[in-house]
Amino acid sequence: MTKTELEYALAECTVAVLEQMFFVHALDAPALAVMAADSDLICGVDFAGDPSGHLALRLSQEAARSIAGDFLGEDEGVLSDFRVGQVVCELANIICGSVLSRIESGTTFRLDSPRLLPTWPGSGKNAVVHSAILDRGALTAEFSTERPVNPVGT
Amino acid sequence: MAYRLLIVDDSPAMRSFIRRVIDLSGFELAGCWEASDGIEALELLRTEWVDAILSDINMPGMDGEEFLRHLAADELLRAVPVIIVSTDGTDQRIERMLALGARGYVVKPFRPEVLREALEKTLAVPCD
Repeated sequence: MTKTELEYALAECTVAVLEQMFFVHALDAPALAVMAADSDLICGVDFAGDPSGHLALRLSQEAARSIAGDFLGEDEGVLSDFRVGQVVCELANIICGSVLSRIESGTTFRLDSPRLLPTWPGSGKNAVVHSAILDRGALTAEFSTERPVNPVGT
Repeated sequence: MAYRLLIVDDSPAMRSFIRRVIDLSGFELAGCWEASDGIEALELLRTEWVDAILSDINMPGMDGEEFLRHLAADELLRAVPVIIVSTDGTDQRIERMLALGARGYVVKPFRPEVLREALEKTLAVPCD
């Protein structure tokens, strides 16, 4: 799988997850157009498979709260930060599993529990990034693996 | 007819979402219980009979595979149909879970109607 194909898989999976389960429409955005803020929620999911790696997800505070309200069917204004964080972790978990189901279709993988991170982990090895503008903010997802996915010749 | 369901998932947010999808789909429930992993689910099944179980795979404590094995080994509980609801859509995983006795498999992300259809099929609910 080429880097471009992996980027495409990450983009498609992110859009599908947002639309089907979080009822959010996402517009592709160049990564540089999505500004990071200190208040952003950041979540990470490690996975073991062939290959192993990590998915990091960054959501603006407003987008996270809006998505959590839609997902849980509750007024976002009354949701605690803890519950908003739980939903962001679930979003990261589903995006990660969805990408892995595409690229590791011939094997199995295992996801660790997603966790909120204090800071963006930075670019991992063999990383691809997808950014999107949502109705109420922005999202960036970075998918990285310890080695290239299905390198040519293997 | 109203049904009794058990949702097994380590994510409280996901359990809430599944429950909401079922409620919104008009599926009539006589009861809906939640457990965070297989151990908690088996404990609950000692006292509550359910018509179907919706279970994740990746869970700390007892995961979905181990949970299915425990159900299959129990004379009474092996009759309860299990639908796996997981992010893992790999062929190997789906085949393995079905071989372990799962009656249905729903891959996340899913549209709400997909979950309803899986429940209807598993419970043999007559169509409207």
